[in-house]
Amino acid sequence: MDDSKTLWQRWSRNAERNPGKEAIVHWVAGEEPIRWTYNNLIETAKKFSIRVKEAGIKPGEVCATVMHHNPFFYPLYLGISRAGALPAVLAYPNPRLHPDKFRQGLEGMAQRSGLDYILTERELDPVIRPLIEKPGSTIKSVFFPLEWDYKKDIDQKLDDEVEQIALSVKETDPILLQHSSGTTGLQKPVVLSNRAILNHAKNMGNALKLSGEDKIVSWLPLYHDFGLIACFHIPLAYGITLIQIDPFQWVLAPIILLEVISKEKATITCLPNFAYNVLAEKIDDEELKDISLTSLRVLLNGGEPIRHDSHQKFVEKFKQYGLNPLALSCIYGGAEVTLGLSVHEPGTLITELYLDRNELSHGTMKFADKDSVVRVCVSSGKLIGGCEGRIVDENRKDLPDGMVGEVAVKSVSMFDGYRNYPEKTAEVVENGWYFSGDYGFRYKDEFYIIGRKKDLIIVAGKNIYPEDIEDTINQVEGVIPGRVIAFGEEDEQMGTEQIAVVAESKTESEKEKNDLRLAILKAGMSIDVNIHKVYLVPSRWLIKSSAGKPSRKANKERIISREDKQVWSR
Amino acid sequence: MISQELKKVILNELNLDDFDLQDETIAPEVPGWDSLNHINIILAVENKFSVKFKSYEALRLKNVGDLQKLLDSKLGK
Repeated sequence: MDDSKTLWQRWSRNAERNPGKEAIVHWVAGEEPIRWTYNNLIETAKKFSIRVKEAGIKPGEVCATVMHHNPFFYPLYLGISRAGALPAVLAYPNPRLHPDKFRQGLEGMAQRSGLDYILTERELDPVIRPLIEKPGSTIKSVFFPLEWDYKKDIDQKLDDEVEQIALSVKETDPILLQHSSGTTGLQKPVVLSNRAILNHAKNMGNALKLSGEDKIVSWLPLYHDFGLIACFHIPLAYGITLIQIDPFQWVLAPIILLEVISKEKATITCLPNFAYNVLAEKIDDEELKDISLTSLRVLLNGGEPIRHDSHQKFVEKFKQYGLNPLALSCIYGGAEVTLGLSVHEPGTLITELYLDRNELSHGTMKFADKDSVVRVCVSSGKLIGGCEGRIVDENRKDLPDGMVGEVAVKSVSMFDGYRNYPEKTAEVVENGWYFSGDYGFRYKDEFYIIGRKKDLIIVAGKNIYPEDIEDTINQVEGVIPGRVIAFGEEDEQMGTEQIAVVAESKTESEKEKNDLRLAILKAGMSIDVNIHKVYLVPSRWLIKSSAGKPSRKANKERIISREDKQVWSR
Repeated sequence: MISQELKKVILNELNLDDFDLQDETIAPEVPGWDSLNHINIILAVENKFSVKFKSYEALRLKNVGDLQKLLDSKLGK
């Protein structure tokens, strides 16, 4: 890696060094892939950067992109950076998401993060336009960059001006904004600097033993840090090839990933845990006859809790297709440290500890004996370079190895805080340490993550705030307002969490309960949340926390552990 | 038109008593039919009717009517 101070400088140098090397292969099932060389990518990005400047977008302003899988997204993203603005990739709304809810989420995000422009597709104009025209809106305009004439020759004067902007960017300047999931403005906008990402590319590159021959293939959406950092920024900063599959196509036909690995001889892929289950159990053997996974040297599991069973199923299924079981690896981290804190060393067996579940729930790791209920804990590996990690108690004091506590981290790739949210930043950062809210322990220098302090629900790698669900379900007729909790329920078959809702109601007959359940499911759909299980309970059933609100933790335990005849569920 | 047999398999997989499934009904309109469940529905249809869909055939399905047509073609109807 060279001494580039900004990402634009690194990308440009990669293009100078290896102009004809493939930077991004844009994959659409059943079509010939579109292949961006480093040179083409950079030259097209320059054209987009000029259009960005012509549009009146200034350095430091935030450009939220809301787009489908499109080959011109990549040079646009790079072009925004060259013009000194900050790209923020947002999810394209699923058809089930009600336009009002989408607008509400965008509005909350705009107010919180200070989004300046929305760069999207024409079909979203009717949904977004009212937001811009609303008095007090922070969003200045909406643009449709896929309609921009990117083939127009470069105006040399404008190009020089934009180049000067790019040269004036410092390594400590922000380069992007990442949002956590959520729909009601609960999102925490993470600001990352050029330096943070360049440091991270170097340290993750070392941890994964990246070489110029590596090819990363991913279907992960780029609004997710696992997709954006691991599968977009790191390969481009490192000067290697990335192959991007349409996330919407992958979920409908997971075999696409295996086909791409086989055809393109990809060496690395990144997957949230549930994808191991889907690939192992949902594809017919007949379709796999041309699949070869021999080129794969790293499969990185991250983005949600790592499950031993999922790895086992995956290896069992794919070893006959050339999978090297030692290619399995894991990552743990968070957007606040750019991406990774710890990584399992590729090419070695992942450590799994068979522990006593009961002792673990009381905060201590103890190896299981014949009387134990076993919990298999999968290692998330050792700290990567540039990171320090600790396990701390509730007073943020260090705990010894083998004791369960909160994971705290200090990193050369630390975020610059939550944008416009100093009080939230102060809650999680103290003396340069970021307190993750994740529970785990360290044993022989390896980190094991076993739970969360926060009530966040992670479904198939997607973070969902229970507050979003509860706010929506509270509006459903028949539910006692304020008497709802949402939590994540383990789905072993799918290898992920699913959403469960407990609601107090006065319904009595079976028909009334079924009707209410359907209304709750539909309310979930309106915010693009799939509620897997509904528990209906009588008035005053939910346990309150000391703050007077229904306690998620206590009620989840009550629901899961007790047989209560008052509980109706489906 | 969606056959009663296909409707029953879909609703059973989604744990729904009833839902008005029409040819033009798309997955996001049906409670529970998200991307995770989509694969389970396809597998349930395959099992019930003893047919096999290729992944790319499933990828082209735009609505429930398309699924019915694909199923009919597999059954030689």
